[in-house]
Amino acid sequence: MAHPPRSAGQDDGTGAPAPPPAVVLEDVRKTYGDVRAVDGVSFTIARGEFFGLLGPNGAGKTTLIEIMEGLRKADAGTVGVLGTPPWPRDTALLPRLGVQTQASAFFVRLTAAEHLRTVAALYGADHDAAARTLRTVGLDEQADIRVEDLSGGQRQRLAIGAALVHDPELIFLDEPTAALDPQARRSLWRVLRDLKRAGRTIVYTTHHLDEAEALCDRVAIMAKGRVTALDSPNRLIAGSSAVTRLLVPADRLDLGAARELPGVLRADLDGDVVVLQAADAGPVLAAVAEVAGLQGVQTRTATLEDVYLGLTGQTVGEQL
Amino acid sequence: MSAYTALRGAGYRAYTRDRTTLFFTFAFPLLFLVVFGLIFSGQEVEESGRPYISYIAPGVLSWGVANAAVFGIGFTLMQWRRDDILRLIRMTPTPLGAVLGSRYVLAVGIGAVQGVVFVAVAMLPGFGLALDAGWPLALPLLVLGVSAFLAIGAIVGTYARTPEAVAAVANCLMVPMAFLSGSFYPLDAMPSWLQTVSWVLPLRHLNDGVSAALTGSGGLGDIGLAAAVLVAFTAVLGVVAFRTFRWSDRP
Repeated sequence: MAHPPRSAGQDDGTGAPAPPPAVVLEDVRKTYGDVRAVDGVSFTIARGEFFGLLGPNGAGKTTLIEIMEGLRKADAGTVGVLGTPPWPRDTALLPRLGVQTQASAFFVRLTAAEHLRTVAALYGADHDAAARTLRTVGLDEQADIRVEDLSGGQRQRLAIGAALVHDPELIFLDEPTAALDPQARRSLWRVLRDLKRAGRTIVYTTHHLDEAEALCDRVAIMAKGRVTALDSPNRLIAGSSAVTRLLVPADRLDLGAARELPGVLRADLDGDVVVLQAADAGPVLAAVAEVAGLQGVQTRTATLEDVYLGLTGQTVGEQL
Repeated sequence: MSAYTALRGAGYRAYTRDRTTLFFTFAFPLLFLVVFGLIFSGQEVEESGRPYISYIAPGVLSWGVANAAVFGIGFTLMQWRRDDILRLIRMTPTPLGAVLGSRYVLAVGIGAVQGVVFVAVAMLPGFGLALDAGWPLALPLLVLGVSAFLAIGAIVGTYARTPEAVAAVANCLMVPMAFLSGSFYPLDAMPSWLQTVSWVLPLRHLNDGVSAALTGSGGLGDIGLAAAVLVAFTAVLGVVAFRTFRWSDRP
């Protein structure tokens, strides 16, 4: 684990040139038939960064990740990964990348430990790598269980283990927490934070926006093959025009009355609550207190989710 | 541990831990051997006057080896592609040669064990196969047979996307081929035009060659011809297998 945290474009003070960024994309394009899966994407991911790639299904995330991994060739634009182009297949670059596979990509009828040992050997990793990685992803007790008999969460962690077993510098994870229960998710967050602390660069996709907000240094939000926003979660939220929402039980405030309240930009009925949107929650809250009381009223300040939904063109109604 | 050793080990474990595959590789062909062997025990084939077992033993051996090679690589390729194992392998520096080499050695190993088991059973007193002095020549023939049928299986595994498709396509190829190649009963009993047609089938040549080596039904020339034809099949089908190979089902 001898990877000190590094940052892009800075001299490390020893006179040696700084290593190239983890990923550099310049105007990358990929078309399938008439579909522009990736439509002019440019960004740079620094070493040691935890980078989230968000977007609805079909936004082009997977294609973009596969281009970075070297599994697909970009139609146009330049791609640099750890300073080298990932396409065509470069066997010197591959051991420096870790790629999470589907949670079904296991050698059949092997135990968890045997599977990881096989993957380690494919990467030419050292002998103890598999046992070490099982501990990292919390599967040391399941080492001798056949991959077919692991639970969904355990399979997911084993698939992540396969991305880590050879100690890569840059790790690609595709919805690593998708099939996990909340507890397993939190324990995986610890694994991911430890990896970041160890200086690894992590590029990952997720549909859990709370998770991206909690983990990522920066997120890129993709829609229709383009990056529509790219910044730290906090700056994205602060810079958005996202409003505060007030949720009032519908039996105490009817929609018509709600729309008349001062400062309310918009009011919608959503199940058994009326959702009020306001730029400034204070005065609206006071008005609601007067007509309906504050019992059971909830306020929701803007989150990454609001930014995301605004940018990807989905309304809250569709999402809920 | 090298990538080749690891893949060979993983393949070996997957194989020996799978009762269904073990059954169809070893027990199922033996069943044919035993059933046909007992039905025709002590009988001779009218046309040639040779004991029936000297037809059925090399026939079942050739068919069993060919079948195991086709199904083994067909299922493995389909499953590796469907489950992204191929994608995983492609993202490692493992050379394709290590992947193919490990599968090849496994298949040859399985064929060798089949050969020993089937011949040993056929030589039991109830069946009474008598080996000809030229029997060791069956070994290179079986290796060539494994090679040719591995190439066929690889093509099947490349186009099939489900286990059902692999089984259906492989059976459609192998069951008629077994009958038309004389694996279960003597070709002499078939109409002559069918006997002519059977020359385009690789199993026919494997049968003839193995039979010539094990039972002396043909000379060195027949064995050499069978070997040459199998080499040609392997070369042509191997090129097709390489050309059509896909790492992924996704576009």
